[in-house]
Amino acid sequence: MLEHALNLGAYLFCIGIFGLITSRNMVRALMCLELLFNVVNINLVTFSNYFDTEQLKGEIFSIFVIVIAAAEAAIGLAIVLAIHRNRGSTRIDQLDLLKW
Amino acid sequence: VNIIKSTESLHEILFLFLEVGLILGSLGVVILTNIVYSAFFLALVFVCISLLYLLLNADFVATAQILIYVGAINILIVFAVMLINKPQSFNFFPSWTTGDGITCAACTGLFFLLITTISDTSWSEIYLVTQSNNIVEQDLGGNIQRIGYLLLTEFLLPFELLSIILLVALIGAITVARREKILEMRVKSQALQAKED
Repeated sequence: MLEHALNLGAYLFCIGIFGLITSRNMVRALMCLELLFNVVNINLVTFSNYFDTEQLKGEIFSIFVIVIAAAEAAIGLAIVLAIHRNRGSTRIDQLDLLKW
Repeated sequence: VNIIKSTESLHEILFLFLEVGLILGSLGVVILTNIVYSAFFLALVFVCISLLYLLLNADFVATAQILIYVGAINILIVFAVMLINKPQSFNFFPSWTTGDGITCAACTGLFFLLITTISDTSWSEIYLVTQSNNIVEQDLGGNIQRIGYLLLTEFLLPFELLSIILLVALIGAITVARREKILEMRVKSQALQAKED
């Protein structure tokens, strides 16, 4: 079952990367980013369950990842709202103010 | 032995159900055009991942996942989706561009590479190495007690820094997303008063 869980994590990771690269909407990109964070957590908890039952270091790391993902989602969505208020659209390819 | 085997097969059956839910849910998040449907499929993915944590003996992380991800982050995402009005497009699946095809091929290649690496690793050897490295700790009993103990002794500094990160994120999100019309009106009224003087 260890390999089963890791294969599931690999599949979700590839779907998350695909969604992050090909999404034209900013909120969808943030949703795929949250999916990627969750896949990392799945891997950490799986390894903690099968290799580290004494000290559960993987679970503690996954708690940190959850909290940081929450903070990042809050700030990312605030930025998306500010951009939508100023420019009227949320397409990623129109965000080229910092381009050379 | 019978009890152990039946719980193993029960775990496998539940794992298969959760796997189907996760596969369909993640495809729904990425592929559907309507972003409200994507947000709800993301909630399904989070709930399935939380049940997966329960299967992996991580009860505290499962509860934290439901509370934080489904209860806070997904609600935040649904709020953002509702505040950003978009015109409705009537097809379920978007049209694919060339870049989408290239990314799909690259991601499929990455997936097969990961699967091959996972199946080529000898997990039993790693298990033996970690078992020999483990010092026998005192039996603190229960998941939450062990996590709480470690968070307050060995991982104390990251724990405190995490609270500072949350504070900074809160203040930053409020500063970025608030309306500035009140400030502009005050500046204009001060400018008018300066002209009159």
